[in-house]
Amino acid sequence: MNGLIIALAQTSSQGQSGAALAFSYIFYIFFIALLALSFFPGVQQKTQIMFLSRDVEQKLQMIEGYLKDSRGLTEKLLKDKGFADPKAFVDRIIDRFVIDPVSVEPTDIINRMKLLMRSNEDTVREMITAANPNIDPMTRSQIEISTEVVNALNLIYKVIRHYLIMAKKLNSIMIMYQLQMVAPIYVKYAEAYAKAQKVFLQGIPIGDGLGPLVASRFLMKADQKFTVSKDTIAGSIEFEGRKIVVVKAEGPMATVGTPGEGVQNVIEREGGRVSRIITVDAALKLEGEETGSVAEGMGVAMGDPGPEKIAIERVAVKYGIPIDAVIVKMSMEEAITEMRKEVYQAADKAIEYVKRIILERTKPGSTVVVVGVGNTAGIAQ
Amino acid sequence: MAISVDSKQNLKVKTLIKCMQCDYTQERDFQVGDFVLKLVGNCPKDNGPLYIAGIYAESITPKK
Repeated sequence: MNGLIIALAQTSSQGQSGAALAFSYIFYIFFIALLALSFFPGVQQKTQIMFLSRDVEQKLQMIEGYLKDSRGLTEKLLKDKGFADPKAFVDRIIDRFVIDPVSVEPTDIINRMKLLMRSNEDTVREMITAANPNIDPMTRSQIEISTEVVNALNLIYKVIRHYLIMAKKLNSIMIMYQLQMVAPIYVKYAEAYAKAQKVFLQGIPIGDGLGPLVASRFLMKADQKFTVSKDTIAGSIEFEGRKIVVVKAEGPMATVGTPGEGVQNVIEREGGRVSRIITVDAALKLEGEETGSVAEGMGVAMGDPGPEKIAIERVAVKYGIPIDAVIVKMSMEEAITEMRKEVYQAADKAIEYVKRIILERTKPGSTVVVVGVGNTAGIAQ
Repeated sequence: MAISVDSKQNLKVKTLIKCMQCDYTQERDFQVGDFVLKLVGNCPKDNGPLYIAGIYAESITPKK
């Protein structure tokens, strides 16, 4: 090492002044020391952790920003709607959770899951109504959505923060690498949630409203509409000699309704004499696929955790009814923010798909159930 | 094949109004309180009922 330094010094000393020479020595020594230091065990890893954690902290700050904005919007909404203590209300709801039912004994798990999910929805609704008994359904649905957004953003923020602190405490580069890989995805999710809240508060239809939009086009021609289950409405029309019963969430409130239970009730009411069930829903596209492209297939098109989807499958199995699915593709952000023009235009194509399925696969005189699945914010019937 | 990964879009929300009886259509900026199938007056062509047929967001980013 000393030989190398002398050699470097001799080379650089030719034709240089004293100060420049001293600077060159210091520079070489510093460079070589840094090089030597990087070969010490652990130093390289610590440096990498430092850079990775800085990147993750930056992403975490962005998520925190979205959370603060969303919380502020929710508190403002509650204040405008006459809630006595908006901050206390948000504090109570922000960490709310639903514990999954026991899955090691799967018997009846769907009913248990349905009970827990419905009870949670009802409890939040009762909390809102208790705080303001004169609240209208539209505002109540906006508050429900806002609390769900704050809750989701809070969960994302806390989980990312948890793993960041844990990776630092354990000095684990592997956890930090994984965190650095997923953090940008969660920033995108958080951004989409924050945007979605603003859209819901204005009552603008979202991309996921594609199913209800298709259903509303059919229901426009229905003389009578009736409630079939919680927050869900149905109506029947005549099309080419067939009876079409159309089911959708009750709009223009921001709700997905209970389409599974609704379809079950409609089919039981028809005595099981239904030739076909057609579900229409928005579906997540793969990167590279075009927004608004339409596809058809078999099965229940529904992004439900289980209870609603299985209700349709069970009633279909009971009476031997085939289930068709028509989907319109979009990204996750497009699904939960303003409905894009491409998606709106795809509703016409989806209607043509539904009509073609009815004409090709059912006979005149038969009954068909069409379900428009999705959040019906800004879409009436 | 060139693949565009630009996801930033400036959006403007529009409301599309149609007549229930004729082919009259009108597009205007979205106003709070609009919802699909809301009745919004009468048609200037045949006095038929006007309704909101759609609310959607259009990209206003200039095309390259």
